Amino acid sequence: MTAATDIDRTLTAPVRKTPMGTFDLVFRNASLVAALFVLVLLAGIMVSMVVGGWPAFREFGLGFLTSSVWDTQNEQYGAWPAIVGTLSTALIALVVGVPLSLGIAVFLTQLAPPWFKQPVSTAIELLAAVPSIIYGMWGLFVFVPLFAAYVQIPLSNLVEGMPVVGTILYSRSPSGLGILTAGIILAFMIIPFIASITRDMLDQIPSVLRESAYGIGATTWEVVRHVLVPQAGVSIIGAVMLGLGRALGETMAVTFVVGNANRLSSSVMDPGSTIASRIANEFNEALGLQLNALIALGCILFFVTFVVLVIARLLVARVKRY
Amino acid sequence: MLSTLELSPQTLDAAAPVRIAVKNLDFYYGEHKALKNINLDFRDRHVTALIGPSGCGKSTLLRIFNRIYSLYPEQKATGEILLDGRNIIGNDVDVNELRSRVGMVFQKPTPFPMSIYDNVAFGIRLYEKPPKSELDDRVEGALRRSALWDEVKDKLRSSGMGLSGGQQQRLCIARTIAQKPEVILFDEPTSALDPISTGKIEDLLEQLKSDFTIVIVTHNMQQAARISQYTAFMYLGEVVEFDATNTIFMNPHKKQTQDYVTGRFG
Repeated sequence: MTAATDIDRTLTAPVRKTPMGTFDLVFRNASLVAALFVLVLLAGIMVSMVVGGWPAFREFGLGFLTSSVWDTQNEQYGAWPAIVGTLSTALIALVVGVPLSLGIAVFLTQLAPPWFKQPVSTAIELLAAVPSIIYGMWGLFVFVPLFAAYVQIPLSNLVEGMPVVGTILYSRSPSGLGILTAGIILAFMIIPFIASITRDMLDQIPSVLRESAYGIGATTWEVVRHVLVPQAGVSIIGAVMLGLGRALGETMAVTFVVGNANRLSSSVMDPGSTIASRIANEFNEALGLQLNALIALGCILFFVTFVVLVIARLLVARVKRY
Repeated sequence: MLSTLELSPQTLDAAAPVRIAVKNLDFYYGEHKALKNINLDFRDRHVTALIGPSGCGKSTLLRIFNRIYSLYPEQKATGEILLDGRNIIGNDVDVNELRSRVGMVFQKPTPFPMSIYDNVAFGIRLYEKPPKSELDDRVEGALRRSALWDEVKDKLRSSGMGLSGGQQQRLCIARTIAQKPEVILFDEPTSALDPISTGKIEDLLEQLKSDFTIVIVTHNMQQAARISQYTAFMYLGEVVEFDATNTIFMNPHKKQTQDYVTGRFG
């Protein structure tokens, strides 16, 4: 009898029930809900933006995009100056910020002595943590007067009457505020992001690749230019696009320094406005069609940012294929 | 005594001039002294193997010959290494020019992020500006010598990163020989490769020694025995024994060397 039970015990595998079975199901559904939440949120924002902006789009049609009029008395609204302002400030930010960021990253990873590397790295991280309103205040009270006195006025005197540059760089009222100022402040704001991501990417490149590039007699410049930067290429583009995304949508700092003019000027020294700054300035008192026009502006910003994201993806895919 | 080791009939030319002479060399990682009083002669157009257990300093020694250690400020060498009579660890040496004369192939394949053609042409373009047709010839010649040409001739414009590990390593060898260096350093060039790729690289080394002075670091005793004419056995930062490869493997003078080559420690 005892022998038989022993045999039974070894032959029949005990039936086990996972005590966590039910929990696993709950967990699975909970994470699914979390993932769906993102989609619902995005769709919700999109729908409400389009619905809110629809009256403006219906009223002005495509003219809303191309018109430069922003007249609250006669209820005429056009987005063109704000679109141009948004794109040009972001472009200036990239032109100024990207070379500086790459320079910082290359210096920190390739050239800096260790005692210098740490303080600069920390400073960059702190810079990334500075709230944008601080950049705005500093820009308005410190940077703007200096910029007016030492850049705008002398430069305007210099270029006055010249073809092309005499238009683009001439400032009619050298207050220090303007599209270029906003672009430069934006550059300061995106440098920490681009520089620190690029630095991390360069740091991740195996040292043996770097050594073998130096090993065939390449100079530091050649190693960086032909081996390290292409190796990190895709990630650097990603970092730049992240910076561009921030520059396009940045509101507070830009509103402080851009000058908030509703008209379009052909000079980057003149005040202008961006989509975000226009919304921030007027949202408080906006009613009726003006409110719809502001929401429509938001729609456009949403769309522009989306296009930037798509272009970034395409670029990354192209580089990866090579 | 070493029946398992296959020793190729080695042709030693004892009259071959000394290409690299190492004299009283010490090396430091910060405070740590990693090499102690190294004295070695490397003969022209011979393969010299550096063997020894991990951490014995063989890779450290190799990395001095092209001054790659200079990338790291805390590393320092004292003494003399004469390449064709000129001390290469002096401060007045143009390290970039030195590195174009002393090529190096690393443990892991390191193709650059560019096309196969450009990988090979890159090193040439750094120091010479040959016309396109000559550059094409040099690239083809280097790829042929590294036994890669037939595999890549139809895709010279595609990325070097797309090749297999063994092909990448031969690409790195092609890149190195395209520069026409005098010395080539190999730092365990087959340790990341499969046996077939390893065989190809070893065949390659055999052919390269007619033109280049070769120094190879290897963990693989059979490899050292097969391909080198001279072998230095290193232990704890010192050269224990340096002699013709046949002597080191068949008839070593020091007991430590014998223990190591027979696999009793290491």
